[in-house]
Amino acid sequence: MSRRRFDTLAALMLVVLLLAALHMISSAVQRSEDLGRWFMPLLLFSVIGLVLLFILVGWNLWQLLRDYRRRVAGSRLSARLSVMFLVLALLPVSVVYFYSMRFLSSGIDSWFDLQVDSAMEDALTLSKLSLDLHKRERLKLTENLLATIEDTSQTAIALNISGLRATSGAVEMDLFTVQGKLLALSHVNPEVLLPTPPDSGMVQQVVGGEDYVGVATGADGRLLVRCLVRDRLERGIVLQALYPVPESLSDLSGNVQQAYETYRTRAYMRSQIKFTFALSLSLVLLLGVFAATWAAVFTARRLVQPISDIAEGTRAVAEGDYDKQLPLPKVEDELGFLVSSFNAMTRRIARARDALEKSRRELLNQHNYLETVLGGLSTGVMALDAEGRIQTANRAANQILGLDVGELETQPLRALGDRNESLKPFVERVLEGFDSGMHEGRAEIALYRGGGRQVLLCRHSPLDVATGEPTGHVLVFDDVTELLKAQRDAAWGEVARRLAHEIKNPLTPIQLSAERLRHKYLGKLPNEDARVLDRATHTIVQQVEAMKAMVNDFSDYAKPTRLNIEPLQIDALLAAVLALYEGGTQHVTLATGAPGLVIEADPVRLRQVMHNLLKNALEASGERGEVRVSSRIGEEEGNHFVEIAVSDNGPGFDPELIQQVFEPYVTSKTKGTGLGLAIVKRIVAEHGGLVHAENPVDGGGRVVLRLPAHLAQRAGSADGVRSGGMS
Amino acid sequence: MEFFVRTLPALLLLTLSLAVHADAVDFRRVALTLDDNDTILLDADIHFNLTDTVIEALENGVPLTFETHVQMRRADAWVWEADVVEHRLRTVLQYRPLSGLYELRDLQGERRLSFATRDAALGTLGRIVGMPIVTRGKLDLDQDYLVRLNVRLDIEALPLPLRPAAYLKSDWRIASDPWEWRLRP
Repeated sequence: MSRRRFDTLAALMLVVLLLAALHMISSAVQRSEDLGRWFMPLLLFSVIGLVLLFILVGWNLWQLLRDYRRRVAGSRLSARLSVMFLVLALLPVSVVYFYSMRFLSSGIDSWFDLQVDSAMEDALTLSKLSLDLHKRERLKLTENLLATIEDTSQTAIALNISGLRATSGAVEMDLFTVQGKLLALSHVNPEVLLPTPPDSGMVQQVVGGEDYVGVATGADGRLLVRCLVRDRLERGIVLQALYPVPESLSDLSGNVQQAYETYRTRAYMRSQIKFTFALSLSLVLLLGVFAATWAAVFTARRLVQPISDIAEGTRAVAEGDYDKQLPLPKVEDELGFLVSSFNAMTRRIARARDALEKSRRELLNQHNYLETVLGGLSTGVMALDAEGRIQTANRAANQILGLDVGELETQPLRALGDRNESLKPFVERVLEGFDSGMHEGRAEIALYRGGGRQVLLCRHSPLDVATGEPTGHVLVFDDVTELLKAQRDAAWGEVARRLAHEIKNPLTPIQLSAERLRHKYLGKLPNEDARVLDRATHTIVQQVEAMKAMVNDFSDYAKPTRLNIEPLQIDALLAAVLALYEGGTQHVTLATGAPGLVIEADPVRLRQVMHNLLKNALEASGERGEVRVSSRIGEEEGNHFVEIAVSDNGPGFDPELIQQVFEPYVTSKTKGTGLGLAIVKRIVAEHGGLVHAENPVDGGGRVVLRLPAHLAQRAGSADGVRSGGMS
Repeated sequence: MEFFVRTLPALLLLTLSLAVHADAVDFRRVALTLDDNDTILLDADIHFNLTDTVIEALENGVPLTFETHVQMRRADAWVWEADVVEHRLRTVLQYRPLSGLYELRDLQGERRLSFATRDAALGTLGRIVGMPIVTRGKLDLDQDYLVRLNVRLDIEALPLPLRPAAYLKSDWRIASDPWEWRLRP
């Protein structure tokens, strides 16, 4: 059994018990002798029961008030209904109570009016008068009987008194001394051995000389006339006689006395009777009020409960609890239909939520899967919306572009260029591709970054979704710098190897043949012819030597190198190399800016690089040229490097060839193999560095190479500028 | 059932008012004697001093029931132990308007006595002469006993409308302090 049902049953039982108790009180008040004995216990029980009921009602009202203040769902409606029920119940009850009290009071008052008072008094007086006549007769008779007693001896009196009692018709006759000592007793019932003692007042009256006559009540309730007579002969004796009153007179007088006593007692208890009736009525009223209050609150709550449940359920649903199911009311009414509809609705919502959650999880899994795949790609992938705003980018995109694209999410693609100047060409080319109106595009974009030239192979395609309308673009790009370089290096390596192989072999027989011709025919020919032969063979031998040198260069370029890496101070190496160029007509200066910086490099190969660059610069600057070598420590995107620049005051690089000057066979000079800068580039690349050529705005040409450096590896040395000439 | 009838009013009495007119009933003399038949007899002379409220009710015909309660218990008896002897004498005092006398009615023997004055009636009511308590043979001679005597006006015997007021007003508390006597038979 639920607690609420138990409470309800207990309250109902209490009300029923109280009703029963009050009914019994009501019966007791209406002079039911059996219940009269139970009056006070019933009253006490009713008071305690009403106190309990009051506590119960108080508790219910307090709960209602508490819920009302806390704005619990349904509490306001419950309160309104409770008040309405209460008013409906209390109004008629109060009216009935008010008029009942008035009727009760006036009704009880009507019992006791003056006429009835007077009638009762008259009836009693009449009874007394009737008895008075009888009393006087009996008194006279008694006086006469006492007078007949002559012998006052104990024995004579004992004998006489029985006779006298029998002849007089008395019930009892006793003879006393004036001191109260019993001399003789005669009773109609021989078993009675004790006299009916007269009151001392009566005795005193008789001793005082006045006989006493009065009415007494016998053991059987009938009236008796008691006579006490003093002895006229002064013998010191008193005779008491008790005569029965005639039955009719006794009954009538007894009835009158009974009625008078009842009336008198009631008149005396008038206010108490009113109080008792009012108390009973008030208890009934209190029971009615308390029961009505409790019933009002109970009924209101019961009626409102489904509505409260729905309100509570709606709140729960609003807060996202779609599993909320409301208890169905036992009565199948409109509220029950509402509750079952609500339950059906929440069930459907819960199912929809579960399906949605499942889809979301699947979507999340797919998203994670896609993100993992994209994250694992070495190709940069970037998604843009229709307005060209960055939506997402993978890890490879960050690495290739050298910044965290995620930070620029929802920003236009141009933000990439704003963030990093070197990315502007990339942005421009991509946007051109978008603006061209082509759905798909492909481009190779060269960027000049801190680390050198970077070539990106970029493709874009529209991002279509289910609607068919393009909602953005997908940008896919690869850093093909290293790939291209490797391809070129491999191609040129192959060319060099073939040249070395195909050309070098016939050179020696050519040279030997030329020398043999010279040796055999120089002395035999006339002077003129001998001079021609000498010049021709000399030219052949010289050109073959030059070709051999060229082929050796190709061979050097083609053959794989093996670096002997060791720590070296870059500034010291530069100073040592430049020392070889001191004293010439051309002015070579050194400005060291990386004092004590130690890098990991092959000193021989690095010297070769510097010689190639210096040789190139000196050739470019002419007889009075000026060559300037400088070093500095730089930092870009968190990477430190040492930058070595070799500048000259020559005509500078051909702008059309400046991008390819490090390619083999690219040269603007009439002499040379065109491999000098290519070898420089290869050695620098083998050291993990970058090299590029540029034409400064103040004229001349400049080659800048960067080698990775670790700042921790520094030795103490001061900046300085050294200069020298070249012979 | 009888227990509740007696106990609940007593509880109410205790709860509502502890004020009792203890001087309304006064034991002038109490004596326990042994007669020739080895019976312990009680003699007492009890004085009643009724309050005006009670006298007014008596004069208006309300019957007053007085109860004299005599108990004999072992001196070291537990609370729940039954009394060795218990006597309740209930006597009604009532004014009879026809005769103008006060009447005492013994509820045990239905004996009626009439008195011209209230004092005479109360005097007789308070006089206990030779009331047999117990024969000595029924007692343990090595045991101490307590004899307790109480006299009170029985409110429960009043007419019903008077009872609530009687419980609520101390004027109706006519009861003696218990008289106790320790004896070894």
